[in-house]
Amino acid sequence: MSNIVEIQSITKKLSKRPVLKDLSLSVPQGSVVGLLGKNGAGKTTLLKCILGFIKVDHGKILTLNEDPWILSDTAKARIGFVPQSFRPYPWLQAGQLIDYTASFYTHWNKALVDRLVKEWGLDLSGKVSVLSEGEMQKLSIILSLGHEPDFLVFDEPVASLDPAARRQFLREILDIVSQRSCTVFFSTHITSDLERIADTVAVLKEGSIDFCGALDDLKDAVKRIRLRTNKNIPVDYVMEGALSQKINVHDALFTVRGFDQKKREALEKEFDTKIEVEDLNLEEIFLEMNR
Amino acid sequence: MNIKIYFQINPNSGVPIYRQVIDQVRIGIASGKFKPGEYLPSVREVSSSLEINPMTVSKAYSLLEKDNVIEFIRGQGMRVPDAPKITENKGNEKQMKALLKEVVNCAKQWSLDQDSVLKSLKQTWEENSHE
Repeated sequence: MSNIVEIQSITKKLSKRPVLKDLSLSVPQGSVVGLLGKNGAGKTTLLKCILGFIKVDHGKILTLNEDPWILSDTAKARIGFVPQSFRPYPWLQAGQLIDYTASFYTHWNKALVDRLVKEWGLDLSGKVSVLSEGEMQKLSIILSLGHEPDFLVFDEPVASLDPAARRQFLREILDIVSQRSCTVFFSTHITSDLERIADTVAVLKEGSIDFCGALDDLKDAVKRIRLRTNKNIPVDYVMEGALSQKINVHDALFTVRGFDQKKREALEKEFDTKIEVEDLNLEEIFLEMNR
Repeated sequence: MNIKIYFQINPNSGVPIYRQVIDQVRIGIASGKFKPGEYLPSVREVSSSLEINPMTVSKAYSLLEKDNVIEFIRGQGMRVPDAPKITENKGNEKQMKALLKEVVNCAKQWSLDQDSVLKSLKQTWEENSHE
């Protein structure tokens, strides 16, 4: 399977501050990738580099097999993008903005757009300047889907949506990915949404990718371990892959990355006890990875 | 539109969603919710009713197929075999012990004695034995 995006050790500084540092990442065709990262981790900058809005300092990006800085019209027509905040042409009515956007594309699925406007309860006569944040976000999502792109890029698409609208959005994306071959790359802070729709998760930490792989693999790999033993646990005990640890003589609590049956057996033997292994949800894993 | 809810999924749980689906199919077959010869809902149906990625559902189904819990019938979908095989699972006994530990702790907290707990276990077992 080919990759929709291929990034090889890119670096980007914004006003002398290093934002992306030697970052590499591949987005395979047909995948739904959720991008997680703390505020300031570089999520938006990464998305902008992929789309060619800003130029990387070093390294190489291929988006749809092209240099994003000089992306062809054909490639652009295949991309749908929802920025974090977007409010162009405040004097236009929502309906006029839809027509104006449609005029840039050779292909526009009017039936799809009309259906979404109706289902999402958007008032087309409302002026762009007076739409609420949530309404504006709905409108920009609709605008990004009208030309039926096969590569969707969303920068926190649901940040301003109410829970009902968020669910409608997720359902629509799932419908799109199950009906036709479509790749989705989105950043979010809502980990439960990511768990529903993403198959791959990329964790951005201080400008580079800390983890990228199957969501299930991440959940299977990061575990919380409770250790109770009659032996003394050294205060400076070092456990391989530990993200955090609390040690109190006979009790210890570790969060470990890359924990498996072999390590479990070794640990149980070392301390002559049975340990308890707990599953963590994505939010907890994210917090542990960003300690 | 009538959307049947086949599974209960909690994306916030630490258990990966595909494992939640696997567990519920296994329990469904054991309890008779899914009967021999019956077809499981399609990947598409499950993913849209639960609003989860279709890949997750197909992953769960193919792992179940690999373990011979369900069988794939070309052009029809995933079917519960006529004689479901009881798969041995080392983890089963351990999981059961963990559940029982909770039961014992609750019983102690509510000051129920061992006999009455065993009696209700037997009763519950019988109640759930016919399909």
